[in-house]
Amino acid sequence: MSRRYIPFLLFCCLVLLLPFFLRGAYHIHILILTMMNVILTASLRLILLSGQMSLAHGGMLTVGAYTSALLVLKASFPFWLAFIMAGLFAFFLAWLVGYPFMRIRGIYFSIVTIFFSEMTVLLAQQWEGLTGGSGGIYNIPRPDSVHLFGVKVLDFSSRTGFYYLLALIMLATLLVLHLLEDSRFGLTLKAIRQADILCESFGVDTTLYRVLSFAIGSFFAGIMGSFYSHYVTAITPEAFGFLFTVYILIYMIVGGEKSPLGPIVGAAFLTLLPELLRPLKSFTPFVYAGILLAIVYFLPEGLSGLILKWTERLGRGHA
Amino acid sequence: MLELRGVAKSFGGLMAVYGLDLHVRNGEIVGLIGPNGAGKTTVFNLITGFLKPSRGKILFHDEDITGKSPHVLARKGIVRTFQGNLCFPEFTVLENLLVASNLTAPYLMASIFRVPSSRKKEKSIKERAFDLLEFVGLSNMAHLPARSLSHGHKRVLGIAMALASRPKVLLLDEPLSGMNAREVSETVELLRKIWERGITILLIEHNMRATMGLCERVVVLNFGKKIAEGAPEEIRENPEVMKAYLGERRDVPRD
Repeated sequence: MSRRYIPFLLFCCLVLLLPFFLRGAYHIHILILTMMNVILTASLRLILLSGQMSLAHGGMLTVGAYTSALLVLKASFPFWLAFIMAGLFAFFLAWLVGYPFMRIRGIYFSIVTIFFSEMTVLLAQQWEGLTGGSGGIYNIPRPDSVHLFGVKVLDFSSRTGFYYLLALIMLATLLVLHLLEDSRFGLTLKAIRQADILCESFGVDTTLYRVLSFAIGSFFAGIMGSFYSHYVTAITPEAFGFLFTVYILIYMIVGGEKSPLGPIVGAAFLTLLPELLRPLKSFTPFVYAGILLAIVYFLPEGLSGLILKWTERLGRGHA
Repeated sequence: MLELRGVAKSFGGLMAVYGLDLHVRNGEIVGLIGPNGAGKTTVFNLITGFLKPSRGKILFHDEDITGKSPHVLARKGIVRTFQGNLCFPEFTVLENLLVASNLTAPYLMASIFRVPSSRKKEKSIKERAFDLLEFVGLSNMAHLPARSLSHGHKRVLGIAMALASRPKVLLLDEPLSGMNAREVSETVELLRKIWERGITILLIEHNMRATMGLCERVVVLNFGKKIAEGAPEEIRENPEVMKAYLGERRDVPRD
């Protein structure tokens, strides 16, 4: 275990110990939303590594939420299987639409992915026989409790159980995304972003890499959709509309997309901020817009860029 | 080894390349010259799959490769460089080479999960990248960001990256442009060394002295047509070629 994993281990401890200090159900709820946003932002960043800005994340969440809820309710799948299936379904859907989508570059790709997200909303509203129409699906069962060696380890009758499940998912997700980015796969994605025709000329199948990053990123949106539907025990077509996807994008820009730290900082900051500014909560979109503008002007590398600069300066001070 | 049969390319109504026949033999070094706009780069784009020919066939080792995508052709050993300084500016010189010597899909999973065999592979790729940097003379810049390199060094890096992807035939698009006299002579020596290693070279270059000195055979294009082909000495004497470059001699009536 090398030294660069120490910050990550400290972060693990913080996440696992936090419920002992913040006991209120509402606090736990906010922390759960924060961790969901961290996962969504971090997985969106993986797609962006190849230079394509996807706004299909909201759609993939809807897909994952409905897949999981329907599998459990109509096909009586256990939650754990439905959870994985939701991710895999989002993965394969992204793979399927990824090939035609990736023929389009830049802003046009983003526009097509917005259409994808809106399509899922419309489909959920109109396909009443399957999805229950605009009323959505209610009474989605909570996950079964987890027993290890006959001892109940995780119990989902309280929010704390959900907290620990999501904490484990988040830590695993961040680790996997880091390994991906740090591998040759990640290096190639970043190369494609800088000069894709050059990559082609070396024998890199740039379309395959782009589709893969899109599908892997969407997998995480799919499992988050599943988690959400079983946590809230209900899902409506508009739960993850366009605005929701744009929020994820704002978390990433405010956190900074250059560093893997960015999504954590950005999502945590902007999810917790409205809670700290309770009187301003109904003005959240304005607050976000103001922060976004300030970041773009003064901190183009985001909050994580600022943090990294500070720690670097500290490190040099000690040396 | 590389053969073009009646290859044509039109952009709308404009014919960029007219029915071109070209044959590059294994181990040859061939120059492709012609005035600006003659269609030289278009020919490169056609051979390497960045453009699809409107008519005609392209063969590589007697296999029809017409219309295949660039990455498929690159894996077969047809590798090109680009005009201008195309590299990955945010990466170090070494990382540029690592991306260029890419591992294809089967290694992808192994490299993500860092199984021991992939670590070994990774190490040998790194060693090979250092060898290549030594070979082209950039080894003392391995850890500099590519964007900080001088124009000449960036051009050499482009060649090193092409070499890293294991070419059988190397298509160089104006490798000497914008270089000073010393860099030109060093790069000409480098190209000669690459050729002596057994890599077939097809070269586009405006520097006539270098082209004539390096190439065994020169093909001249003008307005998308082959107007001459032969040894450098023959080309230099060819009236068609002179006409293409300098225009026609016309006596001005005096009165």
